Amino acid sequence: MPRTDLSPGERLYLREAVRGMGVLARHFWKNLFGFRDPAPEVMERKGRGVNLVSTINYPEERKEYPPGYRGMHRLVPRLDGKPRCVACYMCATACPAQCIYIEAGEYEEEAIEKYPVRFEIDELRCIVCGFCVEACPKDAIRMDTGTHAPAVLSRPLAVFDKESLLRGPAVEHSTDVLTYRVPLKTPPR
Amino acid sequence: MIETPTARLAFEDFGPAIPPRPAFGRWLAGTIAGWTAFVAFLLFISWLLLAIAALFARLGPIGAAVGNIVGLILILVMVTATLLTMADRKWSALMQDRVGPNRARLSIIPGLRNRPLKGIPHVLADVLKMLFKEDFIPEGAMNNKVLFNLAPLLAFAPAFMLFAIVPVSPEVTFLGQRIQLQVARVDWGILYVFALASLAVFATALAGWTSDNKLALLGGLRASAQLISYEVTLGLTLVGAFIAFGTLRLEEMARLQGMLGPALRSAVVLAARAGDFLVRDDSVLFGWLPSWGFVYQPIGMILFLVAAQAEIKRAPFDTPEGESEIIGYFLEYSGLKSGLFLIAEYAETVVVAGIVTTIFLGGYHLPFIEPTVVRHFDFAWLSVFQVFAFIVKMLFIIWVMFVVRWAFPRFRYDQIMRLGWKMMLPISLFNVALTAGIFLWAGREGLAWMGGIEWLAIIAFVALSARAPRAEEAPHASH
Repeated sequence: MPRTDLSPGERLYLREAVRGMGVLARHFWKNLFGFRDPAPEVMERKGRGVNLVSTINYPEERKEYPPGYRGMHRLVPRLDGKPRCVACYMCATACPAQCIYIEAGEYEEEAIEKYPVRFEIDELRCIVCGFCVEACPKDAIRMDTGTHAPAVLSRPLAVFDKESLLRGPAVEHSTDVLTYRVPLKTPPR
Repeated sequence: MIETPTARLAFEDFGPAIPPRPAFGRWLAGTIAGWTAFVAFLLFISWLLLAIAALFARLGPIGAAVGNIVGLILILVMVTATLLTMADRKWSALMQDRVGPNRARLSIIPGLRNRPLKGIPHVLADVLKMLFKEDFIPEGAMNNKVLFNLAPLLAFAPAFMLFAIVPVSPEVTFLGQRIQLQVARVDWGILYVFALASLAVFATALAGWTSDNKLALLGGLRASAQLISYEVTLGLTLVGAFIAFGTLRLEEMARLQGMLGPALRSAVVLAARAGDFLVRDDSVLFGWLPSWGFVYQPIGMILFLVAAQAEIKRAPFDTPEGESEIIGYFLEYSGLKSGLFLIAEYAETVVVAGIVTTIFLGGYHLPFIEPTVVRHFDFAWLSVFQVFAFIVKMLFIIWVMFVVRWAFPRFRYDQIMRLGWKMMLPISLFNVALTAGIFLWAGREGLAWMGGIEWLAIIAFVALSARAPRAEEAPHASH
């Protein structure tokens, strides 16, 4: 009973072995001398002298998340830098993970009386469902930062407070009550 | 109210995604700078080896030997073998379009904070890891504790001793001392390699047997059988080279592959008198072919590389190890003892590369330009370049061995035995007979012609041999 139906020539597999070594050598030199193409998709990398390594060295290099990615929360600031939030507790109520903690306070001179004294989100409890964004009547909380919650070395460090969350470009809507608008120095985008 | 510590992490900390592609000029400058630095480093190492040997040679003949041991075995082989543990991983990564290990950092050194340094810190990390691992001895090995502890030493020591007969430089006056970078100049030359290489069998057999583990025993048995089988071929493949060079001494073989001392000197003197810029290298065959061993012994060189690969148990001949089936004869070893087996394998790789370089790639000889170098510098400088050439050739052979390692799947045990006894042994015997016949008939020049024809035949044989059948065209019968 023959152990294989390969011919003796095929069983030597000399030619294919040499070809395989050639493939390895080609990849070796190409990757040794080639430089890095930033296109994250390997198939999009074109041109001479580009190496074939498709690894993204994560903490140093990052892929852009797609638009619409539900990332880490931010409290949207008004044009005067204060949060748009009116401390209505709708997000905290809608949150299935109960990760939002709000303490309301009152402005003395402004027409909008309520504002959050404390606004904390426990990013470890958060399940990134986006219900808080949907629930907010004032467009005061968004998840458009394009990043995700960072790794932390202890649990309390994952609780983000108001000062940390109040980031990103200010937002002003035409439907906002006029009395709180500050005079516009630059036209709104 | 309970104050919770809160994170103060700015969104700005998340930098931009991927760094932009470097401009071509910058990339070119970086590449040239990197390779220049590499060549300069190798040249410095070459000079350092010669300088160490010259320094120790002041203490007399024993001092010279000690200097060569320090320079060649402790520095050249040990450092190369250590770096090869890293090169193995990095080179395989490059061949497989990966980055390879680059996470270990030397962040405690201020200038090197968070720099991968091409993965070199991993060598340090590996050594530290092995040093601090528990030195475990299985209960079944307690009866044979001495033998169990002896096995890694028996694997380690011969691997390093083997390099003693490899000549890295010719005999030269360097810093006022007559030196040669070679630990032992002995009449039996290459026979020393065969004798010591077979000692590795004891290491594998002892390790496999004393571990009191079925898989380790299997590995030890496989290793013993394989090593003994391939030793025959290993010896016979070099007999052709003995015939071609007429000596067993490696330093003689290396010397015969380039221009000899007095001839070189007179050629240089004549050229200086005539005012020629270039000096012709008389050892070059037909005006373009360096008279190196691979010209005289193509079959011998290829068979020796294969047999040596089997002898040092590297892939595709790594059934004794076979990490995916049996872990191998060193299964029960931990910590530094396991590391000794590992480093011995890489040291053997260096030694085999050194021997192949010496016998088949002209040893320390530079092709074509040696007399010209002497004409414009002197013999001491020539020796620095020669040591450099030796290291470069050695690294090339090591690289080829690593390519072979990743190109071939592991052979089955019976395939290894069949290849060794039924194919390589007859071919090497044929090579011996053919070389001897041609040498008697037409001398060394005849051997060069024979070598050329053999190279053509080998290339034709590989090119014309059958391609692998495509899976959909020829479905194989199930085994």
